[in-house]
Amino acid sequence: MEDFLYFFTFQDSSIAFVVIGITLLGLGSAYVGTYSFLDKKALLGDAISHAVLPGICLGFMLAGEKNPIYIVSGAFFSGALATFLTSWIRNNTKLSEDAIIASILSIFFGFGVVLLTVIQKSGNPEMAGLNQFIFGNAIAILEEDLYIYGGLAILIIITLTVFQKEFSLLVFNPDFGIAVGYPMGLIRLIFNVLMILAVVIGIQAIGVVLMAALLITPGAAARFWTDRLHKLLIISGIFSVISGIAGTYISFILPQMPTGPWVVVCLSFLALFSFLFAPNKGVLSRTISRNKYLRKTHQDHLLKALHHAIEEGKKYLTIEEIYEAFPYQKQKNNKSIDDLIKNRLVTKNQNIIILTNEGKSESKRIVRLHRLWELYLNEYMNIAPDHVHDTAEKLEHILTPEMEALLEKRLNFPKLDPHQENIPRDYDDL
Amino acid sequence: MITQVDNPILEIHDLIVSYDQSPVLWNVDLSLPSGKLIGILGPNGAGKSTLIKAIMGLVKPSSGYVKIFDKTLEQVRSRISYVPQRESVDWNFPASVLDVVMMGTYGKLGLFKRPGKKEKDIALSCLDQVGMMSFVNRQISELSGGQQQRVFIARALAQEADLYLMDEPFAGVDMSTETAIFHLLQEMTAQGKTVIVVHHDIHSAMNYFDWMIMLNLHLVASGPNEKVMSEELLRKTYGGKLNLLTKVTDIIKQKDFNPLKN
Repeated sequence: MEDFLYFFTFQDSSIAFVVIGITLLGLGSAYVGTYSFLDKKALLGDAISHAVLPGICLGFMLAGEKNPIYIVSGAFFSGALATFLTSWIRNNTKLSEDAIIASILSIFFGFGVVLLTVIQKSGNPEMAGLNQFIFGNAIAILEEDLYIYGGLAILIIITLTVFQKEFSLLVFNPDFGIAVGYPMGLIRLIFNVLMILAVVIGIQAIGVVLMAALLITPGAAARFWTDRLHKLLIISGIFSVISGIAGTYISFILPQMPTGPWVVVCLSFLALFSFLFAPNKGVLSRTISRNKYLRKTHQDHLLKALHHAIEEGKKYLTIEEIYEAFPYQKQKNNKSIDDLIKNRLVTKNQNIIILTNEGKSESKRIVRLHRLWELYLNEYMNIAPDHVHDTAEKLEHILTPEMEALLEKRLNFPKLDPHQENIPRDYDDL
Repeated sequence: MITQVDNPILEIHDLIVSYDQSPVLWNVDLSLPSGKLIGILGPNGAGKSTLIKAIMGLVKPSSGYVKIFDKTLEQVRSRISYVPQRESVDWNFPASVLDVVMMGTYGKLGLFKRPGKKEKDIALSCLDQVGMMSFVNRQISELSGGQQQRVFIARALAQEADLYLMDEPFAGVDMSTETAIFHLLQEMTAQGKTVIVVHHDIHSAMNYFDWMIMLNLHLVASGPNEKVMSEELLRKTYGGKLNLLTKVTDIIKQKDFNPLKN
């Protein structure tokens, strides 16, 4: 608790710097990453983030110390080289994109690790912090680092905001962009530069290995919550900042903890949460609506059974008859009957189930849809009468009133279905 | 049967286009009149879309050139509107119908500037013309194929152009929508606009187009509807590819370079 207060009241100005840094970094990378996620270029981000390692090492070797300008420039150039090579190889060979990206990623990263080992063997006393670039250490962000990383993050955010319509066009329909005369090649180049910069600003805090997660996961998680681009950008930014700060806090209170992995753990938690619980698109919400649909189908089938009983001259069905008609699902039958009573579609008197007037109307509607669809399949699609029942049994629940009107019109308000059974209308007596 | 016209709105001169070396369009040479509804017909893989893309500068020709309004493409871009194939974009992109139609105004708007009220009004009136007013705020992935086509056509209308190039705007469209779109295109040509449409259904082509281009890797015919609709030309268009043409394409493919390239 003490740690918590100490961290979040920013008594220590260096902690305030770290939090500002991680917030800007999170916003910038989530912003770029969301676009590249929508562009289906998630792997490229991974390749770039691994590919900056040799640049970091070369920058360090040239400067002889952890000079942020040398390291950022080195990282940028090796990231740019990797991006350029990826597109050059794709355009000039027949290799597939995934093979190219996988090779570039491992070659650059392997070379980076070799350089890192060389530096460690050299015994340079400044090299102590260099390992941090692999998994990141946000707490080590200093004021002078903040100006560079934060400045670049702000640059990314501003550029993306100014070019929002151009980048949307780039992702959605670049050919159309060319057709209206936009320099799509240049816009693609600017976007690639922003993507490399987004990786570069994360190397200190998150590390090269996990930076790709910070680019892609926020957008992917936010996609569960919205279908609008601006909301998507805002939500992914929020996810990214929350995980950034949480990860930093954990690496602050627990000694020897790198920041990057903890940020990624928090992000993954948010992504999992979105996957499970987001409204409409989450697993839970989809399961609920599927169950609701299945319950409704069973109720429809009960109403139909009652309708058939009346057609056969009976006034009602007993509960036992219903159990018999839908065997091995006693509980489900009881639940459906209860729901139908609640909706005033049937009444129950001891063990006798009778349709109410609303229930009659509803049961006629379902039977009508079923038989209209059977007739449509038979007349328009030449399907034999003994083959039409199963599809109609499934589609009767989802046909809309507009579809019903259209079916009636196409079939010219028919009286009988392919099995010579009456198609009941609302004005017919039941 | 290739009819050339004076003062053409579009002139294509000896155009050869190749993908990965293999030629997909051979020496297409034609000129088109303005104010007409023009259809490009041909079997699958005949190079119909490639022709449109070459006109729009989306693929580079190996040789030949295209002139529009007697000028180069760059000089008259703002007067040309383009409808790409519906399948060429990812409809899961998080955007509303209005967002997509607004893209039609981007050309005139230019870089940096954000679309405002004026652009929104243009987009809304174009959506009205294609009968999609009730879908303004709908997410584009929820639309049916025919509705997506209409959104693309509305976006093209929002470009307020004189020449419209549409790549398969009737693919995946039901009968009544097809008729409605054709009537809209006829209205446009009545106002003096020129509409060029890649199409595959010969039956509706006969009913609606004023002028037809028949392609089968090479240009089979280009001329007024009544002149080109003959059994012989249709057989040349749809009756399989020329034997020698496919043979020479195979030979070119095996070379390390494209001999047709300038």
